[in-house]
Amino acid sequence: MLEEIKSIKKAPVEEYYVPGHRTCAGCGPALQYRLVAKAAGPNTIFLGPTGCMYVANTSYACGPWATPWMHTQITNGGAVASGVEAAFKAMIRKHKTDAEFPNIIVMAGDGGTSDIGIQALSAAFYRGHNILFICYDNESYANTGIQASPMTPYGAWTTFTPAGPVVPEGKKLMPKDITKIMAHGHPELKYLATASLSYPIDLMNKVRKGLNANGPAFLYIHAPCPKGWSFPADKTVEIGKLAVETGMIQLYELIDGEYKLTYKPTKYKPITEYIKYQGRFSHLQPEHIEKLQQFANQRLKEVGVEVEAPTITT
Amino acid sequence: MGVKKRMSGCVATANAIRLADVDVICSYPIRPYTGIMSELARMVADGELDAEFILGEGEHGQLSVVYGAAAAGARAFTGSSGVGVMYAMELYSPISGERLPLQMCIADRTLDPPGDFGSEQTDAMCCRDQGWIQGWASTPQEALDISLMYYRIGEDPRVLLPQYACQDGYFVSHILGEVDVPTQAEVNAFLPPYKNHHVLDVKNPMIIGAQIEPQMGPGLQYQRYLAVEGSRKVIEEVHAEFADIFGRKYDPWIEEYMTDGAETVIFIQGGHAETGKTVVNRLRNLGEKVGLIRLRTVRPFPTKQVREALSKFKAVGVIDNSVSFGIACSAGILLTEVRAAIYDMGDKVKTVGFVAGLGGEMITHDEFYKVFKKLKEVVKTGRVEKESYWLPFEL
Amino acid sequence: MTVPYEKIPFAGTVPSPQKENEGMITGNWRTRRPILDAEKCTSCQLCWISCPDSSINLGDETSSLTFNLKYCKGCGICNEVCPVGAISLVPELDFED
Repeated sequence: MLEEIKSIKKAPVEEYYVPGHRTCAGCGPALQYRLVAKAAGPNTIFLGPTGCMYVANTSYACGPWATPWMHTQITNGGAVASGVEAAFKAMIRKHKTDAEFPNIIVMAGDGGTSDIGIQALSAAFYRGHNILFICYDNESYANTGIQASPMTPYGAWTTFTPAGPVVPEGKKLMPKDITKIMAHGHPELKYLATASLSYPIDLMNKVRKGLNANGPAFLYIHAPCPKGWSFPADKTVEIGKLAVETGMIQLYELIDGEYKLTYKPTKYKPITEYIKYQGRFSHLQPEHIEKLQQFANQRLKEVGVEVEAPTITT
Repeated sequence: MGVKKRMSGCVATANAIRLADVDVICSYPIRPYTGIMSELARMVADGELDAEFILGEGEHGQLSVVYGAAAAGARAFTGSSGVGVMYAMELYSPISGERLPLQMCIADRTLDPPGDFGSEQTDAMCCRDQGWIQGWASTPQEALDISLMYYRIGEDPRVLLPQYACQDGYFVSHILGEVDVPTQAEVNAFLPPYKNHHVLDVKNPMIIGAQIEPQMGPGLQYQRYLAVEGSRKVIEEVHAEFADIFGRKYDPWIEEYMTDGAETVIFIQGGHAETGKTVVNRLRNLGEKVGLIRLRTVRPFPTKQVREALSKFKAVGVIDNSVSFGIACSAGILLTEVRAAIYDMGDKVKTVGFVAGLGGEMITHDEFYKVFKKLKEVVKTGRVEKESYWLPFEL
Repeated sequence: MTVPYEKIPFAGTVPSPQKENEGMITGNWRTRRPILDAEKCTSCQLCWISCPDSSINLGDETSSLTFNLKYCKGCGICNEVCPVGAISLVPELDFED
């Protein structure tokens, strides 16, 4: 069992995601990968579906993981992890290996989780495999140059949802809530939580809880992307904080079928405080921003937080 | 010698998988291969086989599961038919390129549209470029035997490639045949435990499948090419070992049936060859100089052996039990490959292509007679007037 | 230039690194270099935990933290998160090395 990390100063010093990778300066997903690897430790096998955390990290013919790592297609992170897990179960039971059962972690982007990868993810959780499936959400298909994914927010500019006279808001669709999709209907689910790279101790402890759960564990990690969202590279942690403090992102765990917040700002800021720093929202008109605020309020409501809609000040 | 039983191709394959002590199996139902999986599920439930039996979410998921299992160091098995084989297409290159010697049994089936449960070799033939060992069993006995041989070939450290163990849907997968089921001791003597150069092992951590620049592309493909070409020697060695241990001798590449002194032969792969053999027998009784060649391994294609064998005859009717619309010479894949193999022989050996048995129809005795009749005509006139015939419409 | 096939490891698989991945050295990306004012530093380790490139090495009782300049991309997150302003970003061209 992995123990709770009490503070930053008590966090493990060892790095299992070492320096040397081609991710953007200030890359949010890279930071959360480092924290996940740190929390999981050496007895870990990572599976990397195609995405930024595959291509950027393994360019070229190398990689920054001090543990075993294998590429999967963007479609099948959940399925490949199921095979790895079943293999170790069988080999250990049949005495074909003296390995200990390892942590098996899928590190999938929002596309590889909620879109093209959703079938494999759902099946893995239905079957009850002892894996941790992490969705690092940079809110787009980033590696291919920022295209919309089902978790791209309403109103976000991407190359597939550009803003223009015909589509003034850019992205018209509200995003999927993959965490809620996973929370209900998979009887074997053992642990589910959301996290943010701006709250590193909380994140690492949720990773450990997921790994300790001895069954399917799902962890959503909000991972701001300077390139895709158009903000300066040094603001990644700051933007992540604002996402939580405006209620766009909620930090919670699913405990006995109920959502329990693990962090709650004392007072929620209006979402304008979050989107004003991001170029991908710069085209939004007041009516679009209002819709986005309502979206945030609704998500908060779903985890038991009622907010009087903060009025929009642009 | 083991136990002789009557069983279908599906059950025979399942027995091979049991004897191979496979660790991870991933199932998904689609006719006609499903019987393999239900037999394996029964074996696991009855304690005859200790394996993780994973309920896959679809064929793409099946191949993904066994990909992960083989990379972790387990012996893995899956299978499919028809459009299911197509759905998993994304995985075939990664699996062979990552050199994971898992096995997929394909009980072949016509592709959509529309739904047609009947046998046709198109589904598995569509996969032939992916770098897997591939061949058709024409009887349930052979289905069991190739499954064992393919694990041995694929897992050989000189090869490390996955395998498609194919069999005709229904004609082999469902029709009963007599099968000598080997003992576990015999199989243990033949098939050593699976080992690979790269496995997911925290004691020896590796990065498998890192992104490359184009400059590494050709070399990686060449490595795989050398493995496929290098497998030829291993295929021959393994067939010889198999004969020693199990007492059944198969030519690794082609089975020649009554070809001594034949002038015209049929070249065919899979279960329809059994029908062809009956016709050859009858024509021989009537004094016709005919024979049959059954292709046992289609990948790697035995260019040398096909060239040598066909050089003895005057005309060859190549039967394709699959479609390849718009292909060169307008018949089927095997015709084009046979012609490529015997190209150097110029006009000495005439070849004619026949597309037959599509959709699950039998290739009838009548059709085989017509083929031999056409070939006899070609020998007499010395000319191939039409190089491709779609049976039963065009002959 | 096409890489000779004998020089490519089996199936392109490479051993995992232990301390650093020299296959992608990124220090030359920097346009600004982080500099620590050791007097101000309280060793809260917030910068260390926030570096996406694992490029801040913790100090100990006798020495202060250091930046791994071989890999540091100069993103500046450390400068942003430091609660006491102990890190400043200096144009890279100001340095000889």
